[in-house]
Amino acid sequence: MQTPKVLGGIDFGLMDPETYRDMSATKVITADTYDDDGYPIDMGLMDPRLGVIDPGLECRTCGSHSGSCNGHFGHIELAAPVIHVGFTKLIRRLLRSTCRECGKLALDEAQRDEFRDRYERAQELGDDEHDVLKAAVRQARKASTCPFCGEPQADIKHEKPTTYYEVQDVLSGDYSERIAAAMQPDEEEDDPGTSPQELAEKTDIALDRVNEIMAGEFRPRKEDRRAIEKALDVDLTEEDMNKLMPSDIRDWFEDIPDEDLEVLGIDSEHSRPEWMILTVLPVPPVTTRPSITLDNGQRSEDDLTHKLVDIIRINQRFMENREAGAPQLIIEDLWELLQYHVTTFVDNEISGTPPARHRSGRPLKTLSQRLKGKEGRFRGSLSGKRVNFSARTVISPDPTLSLNEVGVPDRVAKEMTQTLNVTERNVEEARQYVRNGPEAHPGANYVRRPDGRRLKVTEKNCEELAEKVEADWEVNRHLVDGDIVIFNRQPSLHRMSIMAHEVVVMPYKTFRLNTVVCPPYNADFDGDEMNMHALQNEEARAEARVLMRVQEQILSPRFGGNIIGAIQDHISGTYLLTHSNPEFTETQALDLLRATRVDELPEADGVDDEGREYWTGRTLFSELLPDDLSLDFTSSTGDSVLIEDGQLVEGTIDEDAVGAFGGEVVDTLTKEYGETRSRVFINEIASLAMRAIMHFGFSIGIDDESIPPEAEEQVDDAIQSAYDRVQELISTYEAGELESLPGRGVDETLEMKIMQTLGKARDSAGEIADQHFGDDNPAVVMARSGARGSMLNLTQMAGSVGQQAVRGERINRGYEDRTLSHYRENDLSAEAHGFVENSYRGGLTPEEFFFHAMGGREGLVDTAVRTSKSGYLQRRLINALSELEAQYDGTVRDTSGRIVQFEFGEDGTSPVKVSSGEGDGIDVDDIVDRVVDAEFESSDEKERFLGERAPPTNLSEHSGPGLNKASGVESDD
Amino acid sequence: MVDVSQHELVPDHVLLDPEEVDEVLAEYDVTRTNLPKIKRTDPALPDEAEVGDVVKIVRNSRTTEEAVVYRLVVS
Repeated sequence: MQTPKVLGGIDFGLMDPETYRDMSATKVITADTYDDDGYPIDMGLMDPRLGVIDPGLECRTCGSHSGSCNGHFGHIELAAPVIHVGFTKLIRRLLRSTCRECGKLALDEAQRDEFRDRYERAQELGDDEHDVLKAAVRQARKASTCPFCGEPQADIKHEKPTTYYEVQDVLSGDYSERIAAAMQPDEEEDDPGTSPQELAEKTDIALDRVNEIMAGEFRPRKEDRRAIEKALDVDLTEEDMNKLMPSDIRDWFEDIPDEDLEVLGIDSEHSRPEWMILTVLPVPPVTTRPSITLDNGQRSEDDLTHKLVDIIRINQRFMENREAGAPQLIIEDLWELLQYHVTTFVDNEISGTPPARHRSGRPLKTLSQRLKGKEGRFRGSLSGKRVNFSARTVISPDPTLSLNEVGVPDRVAKEMTQTLNVTERNVEEARQYVRNGPEAHPGANYVRRPDGRRLKVTEKNCEELAEKVEADWEVNRHLVDGDIVIFNRQPSLHRMSIMAHEVVVMPYKTFRLNTVVCPPYNADFDGDEMNMHALQNEEARAEARVLMRVQEQILSPRFGGNIIGAIQDHISGTYLLTHSNPEFTETQALDLLRATRVDELPEADGVDDEGREYWTGRTLFSELLPDDLSLDFTSSTGDSVLIEDGQLVEGTIDEDAVGAFGGEVVDTLTKEYGETRSRVFINEIASLAMRAIMHFGFSIGIDDESIPPEAEEQVDDAIQSAYDRVQELISTYEAGELESLPGRGVDETLEMKIMQTLGKARDSAGEIADQHFGDDNPAVVMARSGARGSMLNLTQMAGSVGQQAVRGERINRGYEDRTLSHYRENDLSAEAHGFVENSYRGGLTPEEFFFHAMGGREGLVDTAVRTSKSGYLQRRLINALSELEAQYDGTVRDTSGRIVQFEFGEDGTSPVKVSSGEGDGIDVDDIVDRVVDAEFESSDEKERFLGERAPPTNLSEHSGPGLNKASGVESDD
Repeated sequence: MVDVSQHELVPDHVLLDPEEVDEVLAEYDVTRTNLPKIKRTDPALPDEAEVGDVVKIVRNSRTTEEAVVYRLVVS
C-alpha cells in the first residue's frame, strides 16, 4: 500500500456498522485464544487474520511478517444493540429534542431555520457553536406535543451512564383511595373534611360523576384530575417510567430526517445518529493488544483481550438464552450485562459504574485509558516522545570553557554518534574514524553501506572495515570537539532552557558548562542534571548553530536585556577590581589578563614610589572593551560610570554594568557590536573577574558579621526604645484612647502601629550595624555590588532579625488568647507575638526560634503552592496561545486567519532588537550619527553632506531677516 | 447614569464608512469575520452602531503612543 504524502483534510464522524463489517478481516465468534498446541484458534480473538505478533509468522490477510503488518480489524456481531458510552450526552440531547413518534425535531420550520442560521453565524464568527445547539435543544424540549404529528412528548430521564427512561405523569392506580383520604375530616388539624357535594361544586364536576370517581369506577380525565388535585390539595399522579431499550432508541433515531440533524450540528452524511447504538463491535487487531509470554512459558493476555473475551461470552449466552426462549427478565439482565462489558471496553472510568477489574483486583486499562491523560497516547506518546541520541548526567562548572561550549564526558561522546556522509574528499577522515574502532575516542560505532545494510564496528573488524569504506557510505562517528549539540534543563520554561552548545570532549562523568549560562537554564551545581541531544542531519545542525547557539540567546525576549552575563563572584571580582581602582605591577596585571586574548599591556598608568610602573584596575578592565565604546550610566553601587572610547574613566563595574538580567555594558555590546563580540566580552570578563577575586582573596565567616560591643549596646537601646513605644501604644489602647485610623478598627490600628514601630526598630538596628561595617567587608561588598545578598540580610545577621509574620500579621495563633504558654493571656507585647530581637549571629532564644520557624514554614509552603499553581497556569496559557503566529504583514493571527493583533506587540518590534531600559526606546540622533559615520570616510565629506546648503544666489535686499524694505525695517521683537 | 464612553480610560470608538471598511479589509487582506469582535451592547460603542459595522479604536499603548484596532460589531 502506498502511504499518502499530503493530507488534504480529515473528516471526523461516526462509523457505519456496514463499514465495520466491510473492513473486518474476520468475524470473531469464540472467546478462546489459543488451542492446546499453542496455535491461535480460527475466528478466535487471536485469529491470524487479525495480524501477527510472533516473529516469523505470516499474516493471513496481507501476507507480511510481524513488524511490517499493522494488523487488521475483526468484528463481533452483537446479539442485541448496545449504547456507545462516548455518546450518551448526544443521545440524550437527540431523545429530548426529537419526536418519539415521527423522529422530527420538535421545532417548527421558522424556528428550525433560525437556529440553523445562528449556527452558521456562530461558525463564521468563531463563537462557540455548542451554545446555539444547546439553545436549540432547550427550545425543542419545551414542546409538549410534536408540531408535525401532534404526538404528546414525554420527558426523557437519563440514568447514568447508559439508561434512558420516558417519564410521564399518569393517574395513580389508587386514586379513589387518595381522594377519600383527603376528604376525611382530620380532627387534629381542625380540618372539617369535604363532602362529595362540596367537591362537585369546587371542581365543577357533576355530582354523580364525582361519586363514580370516588368509587373508582371512572378514571377522571386530565382537566378533572387537575381540578380535584387543586380542590383537595392532593397528588393523584405517579411517575410512569418507561425504560427505553437501545433497540427502541435505534429505531427512533433512524426516523430523524437529515435536515433536522443539520440544525443539531450533526453531519448526516458522515454520522447517522443510529450509529451511536452499536450493533457490531469492531475487534482491534492483535498488534494493539499483544500477548506477552512470561518466563514460565505462560501466555499473559492484554487487558483489551480480556475485555473482549467477556463480551463474547456474554454475547453467546445472550443468544443461547434468547433462542431457548428465556423469560424477559433474564434477557434484560443479560442485555444489561452486555451493555456493561461494552461500556467498560470503551471506558473503564465511568462514574456510577464499577470499573472492570483484573483477577488481581487492578482495574483494567481499556480504550479510553490508553488515550487519556498525561501518560496517554496524545500527551504521552505523540506530543512528548522519548528519543534516541540523548544523554543525561550531573552538571558541574568549568570557567575555562567558552559560554558556547559544553564539556561532554568521553564515555558519552563514544556512545552518541553523528552521521558522517562519506564523499571522495573525506574518505580518509572517515576511514580513520572506523580504524580507531568503537573503543578509542574519535572512533565510529556503525557504518552503513550504500545498499542500506548497517554494520557494527567492533575492535576485531575495524581495521578490515576501514579499508572497505568508500564514498556514499555513512559512518556513525563519535562526537568530537566542535560538534553542535542541544542542551536542556527542565523545567523548560522559556526558549533559553534549550540552547545549542559546541562539544568539548573531556574526561570524567559530568557535563561541564561555563557558569555564565546558569541564569538562562536556572541551573546550579547542587546535583542538577541536564539533557543533551545529538543532532542527526545537516539541516538540524545548521539551524541549531544559527538560531539556538548560546550566544544567539544573550538577549532575552522577555525584557529585551541580556540574560547571560556576570554572576555572583564575577561581580564581586569586577567590583574589587574597579571600585577603589587599585594598582597592579606588571606581573600582577599580566596575570589578571592571562585568560583573555589581550597579550600586551597598554601604556602604564604611572610609576609608584619605588619606580615601578603600575596599571590600575579600571585600565585593565578597559582592555576588554571595544575601542570605540562610549557609555554612561549609574551603577548599582550608586556611583556614575563613565566609559569614553573604550576606557573606563570612572565608576564601579558591578551588577548593573556586566551582570546577567540587564547589565548595561553587555546589553549595549550585544546590540551594537553583535553577539560574537558580546560572547567574547562575557567570556573574558568572567575570566578576568575570577583572576581578580583570586588576587584579592575573598571569604566570609561569622566574624564578618560581628559588630563592636558599643554598637551592640546602641542596637539594644534602639530596640528597647521601640519596646517602650509599643508599651505606650498598648497602654493608650487599653485606656481606650487610641484613635483609629480611617477605615480601620481600634484593634487593627494598634496592630498596624506596633508593626510599624517594630519595623522601624529593625531598620535602625540595621543602620547602626551598617555604620560599623567597613567598606571592605565581604558581605557589604556582595550586597553593594549586587553579587549576592542584600543589606536586609546583613541587618538580620548583625542587627536584629525583626518581626516574624504569618499571613502578613504578627503571629497570633497557638493557644487560647496567647501564642505560647510562656506568655500571659492577651499579652500584646512585641516579644509575645513573634518579634525576634536578636540577630542571627547573636543567636535566637527558644521562643524566637519557634516564631521564626513559623514564619519560615509559611515561606516554604508559599513557594510550593506557587510553583504548582503557576505551572498549571502556564500550561493553560501556552495551550491558548500556541497557534498564534506573527505574519509577514506584521499582524498576529491564529490558524483560522482571525486577527489577534493588528501589529505585533502594537509597535511591530521585537524586544531584543530595541534598546532596553525606560528611555524613549529609539535614539534617532545616535542612529543618524552612526549611519553617517559609516557612510563617509573623511570628516570633510561628512561635513559637506551634513552642512550642505546651496550658497544663496542673487540675493535681493528684499529677502532676509530685518531687510524687508517693502514693509520697512522690522524690529527685533 | 454614567456615560462610560466619556471616561478617560475608554478610548475613542469611531464607526467606519463602508468605503473605509473596504480599505481596512483590503489592507489586511481579511474578511469581515476575521476581525476582532465587539458586542453591540458594549457601552463604549456609539449609539448608532449596528451589528455588522466596523469600529476603529485608537487607544494608548504601552509600547507605542497609539495603537489602532478595528473591531466588528456583533450581536
